[in-house]
Amino acid sequence: MADAEEFDFGDNVDTATFEQILDMDDADEDDAHEFSKSIVFGFLDQADSTFAKMETSKYVRPDKSIHVVRTLIHYVLRKDKDLKELSSLGHFLKGSSATLGFTKVKDECEKIQHYGQKKDETGATDEPDEEKCLRLIGQSIAKAKTAYDEVKRLMEQYYAKLEGNA
Amino acid sequence: MDPGGQNANNSSDFVRKLYKMLEDPSYSSVVRWGDDGDSFVVLENEKFTKHILPKHFKHSNFASFVRQLNKYDFHKVRQNNEDGQQSQYGPNAWEFKHPEFKANSKDTLDNIRRKAPAPRNKGAIVDGDMPIQQIDLMNQQIVAQAQQIQMLEASNHELRVNHQTMVQEMVRLHRTVLNHDRVMQDVMKYLNTVDAQQRRNSKVLFPNAQDNAGTTLTPTSQNIGAVDEEAPASPLQHAQQLMQEYNVDPQLNFPGFENSYPSAAQNGMRGPASTHSSGSMGYSKLSDGQLEQIVYPTGGNNGIDPMYSEHLPHIPYPLPSKEVDAGELRNKYAESRKKSNYADPGWARSPRVLLVEDDPTCRQIGAKFLLSFSCTIDTALDGLEAVSKVQEGGKYDLILMDIIMPNLDGVSACHIIRQFDRTPIVAMTSNIRSDDIQMYFQHGMDDVLPKPFTRKSLLDMLEKHLMHMKKIPEGMAPPAPVGVNPSLTTHPPNSRSVQDDMSQGASPAGSTGTWNSPSQYSGVSPVSASMSIPYANYMDSNNAAYQAQPTTPLNPNRPMLPAGSQPGMMQHRRGPSEMSGQDMNPAVKRQRVSGTYTGQPVAARPQ
Repeated sequence: MADAEEFDFGDNVDTATFEQILDMDDADEDDAHEFSKSIVFGFLDQADSTFAKMETSKYVRPDKSIHVVRTLIHYVLRKDKDLKELSSLGHFLKGSSATLGFTKVKDECEKIQHYGQKKDETGATDEPDEEKCLRLIGQSIAKAKTAYDEVKRLMEQYYAKLEGNA
Repeated sequence: MDPGGQNANNSSDFVRKLYKMLEDPSYSSVVRWGDDGDSFVVLENEKFTKHILPKHFKHSNFASFVRQLNKYDFHKVRQNNEDGQQSQYGPNAWEFKHPEFKANSKDTLDNIRRKAPAPRNKGAIVDGDMPIQQIDLMNQQIVAQAQQIQMLEASNHELRVNHQTMVQEMVRLHRTVLNHDRVMQDVMKYLNTVDAQQRRNSKVLFPNAQDNAGTTLTPTSQNIGAVDEEAPASPLQHAQQLMQEYNVDPQLNFPGFENSYPSAAQNGMRGPASTHSSGSMGYSKLSDGQLEQIVYPTGGNNGIDPMYSEHLPHIPYPLPSKEVDAGELRNKYAESRKKSNYADPGWARSPRVLLVEDDPTCRQIGAKFLLSFSCTIDTALDGLEAVSKVQEGGKYDLILMDIIMPNLDGVSACHIIRQFDRTPIVAMTSNIRSDDIQMYFQHGMDDVLPKPFTRKSLLDMLEKHLMHMKKIPEGMAPPAPVGVNPSLTTHPPNSRSVQDDMSQGASPAGSTGTWNSPSQYSGVSPVSASMSIPYANYMDSNNAAYQAQPTTPLNPNRPMLPAGSQPGMMQHRRGPSEMSGQDMNPAVKRQRVSGTYTGQPVAARPQ
């Protein structure tokens, strides 16, 4: 079984954390990586749908720096509710990405969570300007999505390699 | 034909028949009263037997007749009085006499009764037999006891060997843990400096930050600057918390240890203290005893918080001058982590854990970890489901409760459950701010497990709250608490060392009952002093009056630091833990145990 350390995830994945998950694979006999694979790809699906939800619920202001990946943009006028929803989506995704060690994704999601709570990115102090929060959320979603795509690619490669060797 | 056909009546039929027979004058030539009337004589044996006996006594057996007479205490009168002189009744005459049997006295017949049952009955053992049987019995007992002693000695030997191995393992593990801890502290230190550096830089870059209300920087320069500060924030907090929870004592304070394993204990304990990977932490300046003070004294509100730059000078140890080799640290960490991964926690019975988590990824991972710790798992998707599971009678040993969930959040669920259930509930959350934690405890949570959790932190949490479910071998239980650092007695909840886990479980489990028996044998078989000292002392502490005497120099230092610097978080940890009663007992017991080490060998114990 290829060690996660041999495969270069760069700094997209926290190897120590991810390895914990891989360690649990020992028990499975038939499909050696069934457990971790199911977790990882389950997460990827979960993330896909979460990002989709984020896209539909945020009030996105077109900005040059945003990397728009989904074409469906939904204008919703109740920003406050959206902020809360976005925050909880961010929190949701943060939890699972952290457990897998996908640190970049997690970091951005944490920011989204804080912005959605009308705080600054650290969550320590308030950011009352809702427009700004939404804008920042938009940026973070984009960054999260980028990081996520990268991780997704790496995971697919990793498991292809694992299964190629097995 | 039964010679004794009559009952043992008061005046027996036999006697009456005899009397009646003698009254018959026609028998006078065969059987008649004696001349003095106080006996009767059978003159003609043959005729008597043939003719008279059958008529009166239903049999014709003279011997039976004689036997019957003997039974009634008749005695034959000897015929020959002097040499050569015949009796007056003839040569073949049989004369029988009984004091109550007289010719003219019918009333006294009633006094003629059967003799008491002969001493040849069932229960009568001849006097000579008694001692022999007793001796046999005793011999058997002695043999059995000798065998027992042999078996006991064999098992005792085994136990000793096992104990030795265990102790060695413990020393090794302790060393590992110490190294582990050093590593973490190094990393923390380094991050601290990085952090401080950034802050300094940001101060330089944004001198007017105080005027600018609209930026992401807060007016007070307390917050971290514009550089990516997210990284230190939660991990550092996380790390802080973990460090607070797990303070490893550099000395395995086990006086029995030192006596019996002077080389192991000294080398093992001094080893990690003196050989430090980078050497740049300046630990060499501090004596081993004072290493205790290198608790990372942090807290949300005071003490040293890496978020707040003005506390930097307060760190009681110098900052690293060179960068620690991260790769090496990681390898060390990974290696020691891996070793602990596959250890079976050793439950007596599989703990039933309710895992309440809305996120499927976390839920699956948590469940898998728990499975690997041999737990039985039930899951709930939100607080509502959790409450209903417990309400419907689900009995769990531990509940792991996510906080942020749809329908009903973790805190509310806990609050509801607490109305009717005392199962330990551990909050799982990434919100580890002290006021949040305060709220968790206020609503009845017993502990907090920061997310994302690692397998190890989950295991530690399980062990912490499920210590009573651990399988503890009989012989091992009581000495285990002996290994606890007595310095912990003064500040129990804060300063949990790794040994806490052993002691918490062992103290309730080990009872005085188990150890009374060994004391009886201590006088019998020679017990080697090195192995038994810990046992003996524990016995002393259990059987004798408890005396609390802190025996290590670490004690005085202990209470000062933690008490002052962690009121926020730690108080609340203490509260619910006290409620559950888990902390107090082991702490008190630890105190007791520590008090009575005198190093006396077992044999000295009065029996």
